[in-house]
Amino acid sequence: MAKKELSNTEVKSDKKMRVKELIFAGAFGAIYIVIMLAVVMLFGTVPVLYLITPLPVGIVCATIYELCVLKVRKFGAALILGTLFAITTSSGYLPGLFMALGVALVAELVLLAGKYKSKKIFLISYLVFNLNMVCPFANLHFNRAGFLSMATEYYGPEYANSVASMATSWLPLAQIGLALLGAGIGILIASKLIKKHFAKAGIV
Amino acid sequence: MDLMVNGGDTRGVISIDPRTKVLIFFASGIISLSNYSHTASTLFTVILCTLIALCGKPKTAIKAFLLFALALYLRLILNLSQGAPSIIVTIITALSTVFMFSFPTILSILLLVKTTRISDFISAFQAMHLPIKVIVPFAVFFRFLPTVSDEWNGIRKAMAFRGISLSPVQIICHPWKTIEYILIPMLFSSISVMEELAAASMARGLDVDIKRSSYEVVKLRFIDYMLIVMIIMLTGLSIFLGMLARRGMAI
Repeated sequence: MAKKELSNTEVKSDKKMRVKELIFAGAFGAIYIVIMLAVVMLFGTVPVLYLITPLPVGIVCATIYELCVLKVRKFGAALILGTLFAITTSSGYLPGLFMALGVALVAELVLLAGKYKSKKIFLISYLVFNLNMVCPFANLHFNRAGFLSMATEYYGPEYANSVASMATSWLPLAQIGLALLGAGIGILIASKLIKKHFAKAGIV
Repeated sequence: MDLMVNGGDTRGVISIDPRTKVLIFFASGIISLSNYSHTASTLFTVILCTLIALCGKPKTAIKAFLLFALALYLRLILNLSQGAPSIIVTIITALSTVFMFSFPTILSILLLVKTTRISDFISAFQAMHLPIKVIVPFAVFFRFLPTVSDEWNGIRKAMAFRGISLSPVQIICHPWKTIEYILIPMLFSSISVMEELAAASMARGLDVDIKRSSYEVVKLRFIDYMLIVMIIMLTGLSIFLGMLARRGMAI
């Protein structure tokens, strides 16, 4: 119904995002970040689980991301979502911020390669997008001493030691793997949920 | 859906420019990351609670301040009772840590969301000649954060009514079901809110490419400049304290 009313504006610029799509992207960004923070809070209290958060976040948040890009279907949705993510989670440490922005850009380019039509490309782009969950840990990977002294100050020496013992040189690789795995599982769930609920209701 | 439904500082003593509030938001991220001692975050909390109260939301400010005082008190007790590691101490440490870490950011978001009208936000950033494509997602992002928590409360009640509990235990035991029970209703109701928001913004002429005029007078006043200087000094202080602590000279 809304589509008919908007047909005029959509004809005017088919490729670029209009205010309607910008609103969708911003609002999905808010949902994504609230749910992501809820998941991180749930896991963040235990050091082991804190380091594997890319996995559960990927599983839970895939549906939100897919719905956002499927709803907008224009250049910019993933980029806006990724920018909001980068600013809220990684803005304290600059290399992490730029990494997160770069990941969002690559995810957007993957979507562009699919010309915003291919269903598989929509799903695959989340594999890239979820790599941004590794970026908040950039502080730990590149600035190890600083991060650990902060962890000691905040959580006490036991927590810091257990993080330090696990934060070996392969941890970034392990986190990337976990992020990909989480995104993979998340994609399966997302495609099922979207088919079951949203496609039936005519939302995407 | 009214774009102004969320916040406002009409009952406030002072009004701060939205740009200053966004600067405070960015500063809060740096402060919570580089804040090793509690000095900077206590100062930051006191300043922000005062601001929220002066902007016309004294109840929110008092609640937030009491919460912070409680967390700080718990931390002090924990520091004194070192050498008695038990499961309760560990849990309290973890909880208060997560709280202390995220509190500056939460406070700055509260200030931004509770005391700013979206139209003020948009016109302030348009005065900086930022393109509307950058402003709108951010404005909607901040506008939507409280909506998400509203929806969450509604969903929790609706699910409790049907005998489905959404407690952490339940989430861990039945993750798949919880994802479906929380996410799907939340996305459905949020999407309808978004559609309404889009329609409202179109009615307000946000979609037109010509320059918009605004009823609001946006100007950085004396108080804004004062706050900006204060926040920059505070951020510098917290980075400085962090560097001191890293060299083992914690205050």
